[in-house]
Amino acid sequence: MSRGRHQRRRDNYEQWAGRVLMEQRRSTVAGPDLISSALARNRLGIPSVVFFGVAGAAPLTVVIGGISTVYAVISGSVAAPVVYLVVAAILSLFTVGFVAMSRHIVNSGAFYSYISQGFGRVLGVAAAFVALPAYSMMQIGLFGLFGVVTSSVLAGLGIQTSWVPCALVGWALVAVLGVLWVDLSGKVLGVLLALEIAVVVIYDSVMIGNPAGGSVSFTTLNPVQLLTPEVAAMLVLAIAGFVGFEATVVLSEEAKDPKQTIARATHISVIIAGLLLGISAWAMSVSTGPARIVAVAQQEKTNLVFALVGPHVPEILVSIGYVLFITSIFAALLAFHAAVARYQFSLGREGVLPSVWGYTHPRTGAPVVGSIAQSVLALGVIVLYSFINADPLVYLFAWLTTIGGLGVLILMWAASAAVIAFFFKNPGRENIWRSKVAPVLAFFMLSLVLDATVIGLGDILQVPVGSTFRWIFPVGYAVAAVLGMGWALIMRRTRPHAYAVIGRGGDGRALIELPEPARPHSHSVPVNSQMPSIR
Amino acid sequence: MLADQYYLIAHEDRTGRSRLHPRATGLGLAAALLSELVLEGRIGVTDGDLFVIDQHPPRDALSHDILDLLCAQSQHRDVHTWLAFLAQDSALRVAERLIRVGAVEAITRRRMLGGTQTLYMPNTARQRNAAAWASTRIANMLVRGMELSVADRILVGIVVATGLTRHVMYGFEMYPHIYHALPSMIASLPDDLRELVECTESSVGSALAVGRR
Repeated sequence: MSRGRHQRRRDNYEQWAGRVLMEQRRSTVAGPDLISSALARNRLGIPSVVFFGVAGAAPLTVVIGGISTVYAVISGSVAAPVVYLVVAAILSLFTVGFVAMSRHIVNSGAFYSYISQGFGRVLGVAAAFVALPAYSMMQIGLFGLFGVVTSSVLAGLGIQTSWVPCALVGWALVAVLGVLWVDLSGKVLGVLLALEIAVVVIYDSVMIGNPAGGSVSFTTLNPVQLLTPEVAAMLVLAIAGFVGFEATVVLSEEAKDPKQTIARATHISVIIAGLLLGISAWAMSVSTGPARIVAVAQQEKTNLVFALVGPHVPEILVSIGYVLFITSIFAALLAFHAAVARYQFSLGREGVLPSVWGYTHPRTGAPVVGSIAQSVLALGVIVLYSFINADPLVYLFAWLTTIGGLGVLILMWAASAAVIAFFFKNPGRENIWRSKVAPVLAFFMLSLVLDATVIGLGDILQVPVGSTFRWIFPVGYAVAAVLGMGWALIMRRTRPHAYAVIGRGGDGRALIELPEPARPHSHSVPVNSQMPSIR
Repeated sequence: MLADQYYLIAHEDRTGRSRLHPRATGLGLAAALLSELVLEGRIGVTDGDLFVIDQHPPRDALSHDILDLLCAQSQHRDVHTWLAFLAQDSALRVAERLIRVGAVEAITRRRMLGGTQTLYMPNTARQRNAAAWASTRIANMLVRGMELSVADRILVGIVVATGLTRHVMYGFEMYPHIYHALPSMIASLPDDLRELVECTESSVGSALAVGRR
C-alpha cells in the first residue's frame, strides 16, 4: 500500500464537500433501494408477528384454565367478561407508548432495557431482578396445570396416574426442546394456534346458542359491575392471561417495517386476545346463567368449559378440545421457557449475570445455560410439590401464575413510567398522543390495578387473614428489586465498563475502552481546552 | 483471502455444514468481506457508518461487486444494515469464490424427503488439509505468541465475535493465556476494523436472541 490509512482518511475529509453534493444529487434521483427490498423479503409481516404475540398469550389455556379459575376464586362477582375487555383496553393504551419507545432503543425485547433507558441503569437492574423470578414462576406454574389436565385426560382413557409423572414428562420435553431451541414461530405452532382459536369460537357459539333459561343474558357484560370491590382482585388474574403479548417487540429487528409492523401487530394481538377472552367469559356465564356461574366453576374447575359444551356437541369435538388444551399449555410452557432463557441470555451478554449465561450453543444459537437453569429450577419445584403433596391446581398453577402475574404487572407499571420519562428526556421523537397522553393514562390505570392487586392479593390466593402469604410476595419483589439496585451499584464500582452498557443488548460494547483520541484544533470546542496540552 | 479463511474455519470439513447457526456464519462472512475492502483501502468505518474512500475496483470479483453496491446504494450507511444484507447470501458467494480457487467443490446430495441440497466442501485430501490448516494456522500462531498481521488479527476478531473461539482453540485448552490475550488483540486493531468486529458481535447477539432461521 502506498499511502497510510490516516493519509487516506484525510484525503477523504478534503473530499467531504464533493461527497455531500453527490449524496444530495443521489437522494433526489432516488434509484431503486435494493438493500431495503432485499432485507424486507426475508422479514416478518404483520400476520407472523400477530401469531407470535397471540401464541405467547396462549388463548386456549387462558380460556379453559384461566377464566374458570377467575370465576371460581373471585366468588363475590361475575364481572370477569367486562374485566377482560377493560384489561385489554388498558394494555392497548400501554402498548401505544411501549411500542413507540421500542423504535428508539436497542435490545427492545426485555422490560429492563426500557426501565434502564428511562430511569437509569440502577433501576434497570432492579427490574431485571424482578422480571427473572416473575417469568420463571409463570412457566413453572403452568407445569401444575399441564400435569393435572394430562392425568385427567389419561384417566378418561382408563390410565390412572398422579399429576407428577405427567408434569415430569412435559418437563422433559420442554427441557429438550428448550436446549435444541426449536423455532417458535414455526408452522406447527401456527396451525395449532389457528385450531385453538377455531375451537374457542365453536365452543363460544355453542354456549351462547344454548343459554340457561332459554334467553341470552347480558348481565355479566354490564360495566356498572366495575364499581364493585372484587373487580380489583380480578384485574391481576386477567392481566396474567395476557402475559406474552409483549414478546412481539423481540421481533422488532426482524420486522418488514420496524415503524409500523410491530406496533400494529402488538395492538392486534392484544385486541384478539381481549375479544377471545372477554367473549368466552361471557359465553360461559350465558350458558350457566349469571347466577350459577360461580357455583358451577367452583365445582368443575378447569373442566368448566368442557362440562358446559359437552351435552350440546359431538363427543369428538370435546376430545379434540382436550387434546388442543394440552398442546396449548405445552406451547405456552415452551414460549415462557424461551422467554426466560432469552432474558437470562441478554443479562449474561451484558454482564449483569455471570458471562456463562451469555454463551450460546454454536450451531443452534440456543442460550443453553439459561435454558438448563430454568429446567433445573422447574424440576426442583415439581419434585418439591410432589413431596409436600400440595394441590397442584391451587398451589402450583393458580399461586405461581398469580404471583408471576403480579411481577409482570409491576414490570408493566414500571415500564409505562419509563416510557413517560424517556420521552420527557428525548422530546420531539413521537407525537403527543404516543409520547405523553397514552403513556400517562396507562401509567395511572396500571397504578390503580397494581395498588388494588397488592391490597387484595391475600383474597386472590385465598389465604386467611393474618397469614404471612398475604404480604410476603409483594415484599419479596421489593427485596429482589433492592438486591438488583445493590448489584448495579457493585457493578458500577467494580466493573464500570460492563455497567455502562446495561440495557443496550451488548450493542456498542467496546471490548477494551480506549481513551478518546484528541481532536484536531479546527474541531476544538471549549471542553477540549480544559484538557492539559500534550506539549 | 480473509472471507475464504473464515469460511473454511466456520464449516465442517467432512460434512460441509456450518459449525455455527447459519445466521451467525452469514454475519461473520459479511464482516470478513467488508474487512477485505477496508484492508484494500476502499472503505472506512466511523461511528457505525460505512463510507467509500476509493471507488477504484478491487482485483477480486466479489469485492468489486460489493464495492459497486456500496457506491450505488449510498443512502444506506449503517454497518448493521450492510452486515444483515450481505449475510443473506455471503455463504454462497464466498463458496463460489472458493470453487474458483479450487479449495472446495460443489457436492449435490439428494435429501430424504425430495429436493436436493448443494454443499460446498473440500473433497480431496489436499483440499481437506488446506481447510483444516485455516484454523490450525491461527491457533498455532496464537499458542506460540507470534506476531499476527492485521488480516489475521481481524480474522481472530471475527472468530471471537461469532463464537468460534472454542472451535479454533480445540486441543489447546492448556493454554488459557490465549483467551486473555484475545481482547487486547482485538483492541489493537485499527479503529474501523475494531468497530466492524463490535458491530458483528452485536448483530450476531441480536440475531441469536430472536432464534429465527
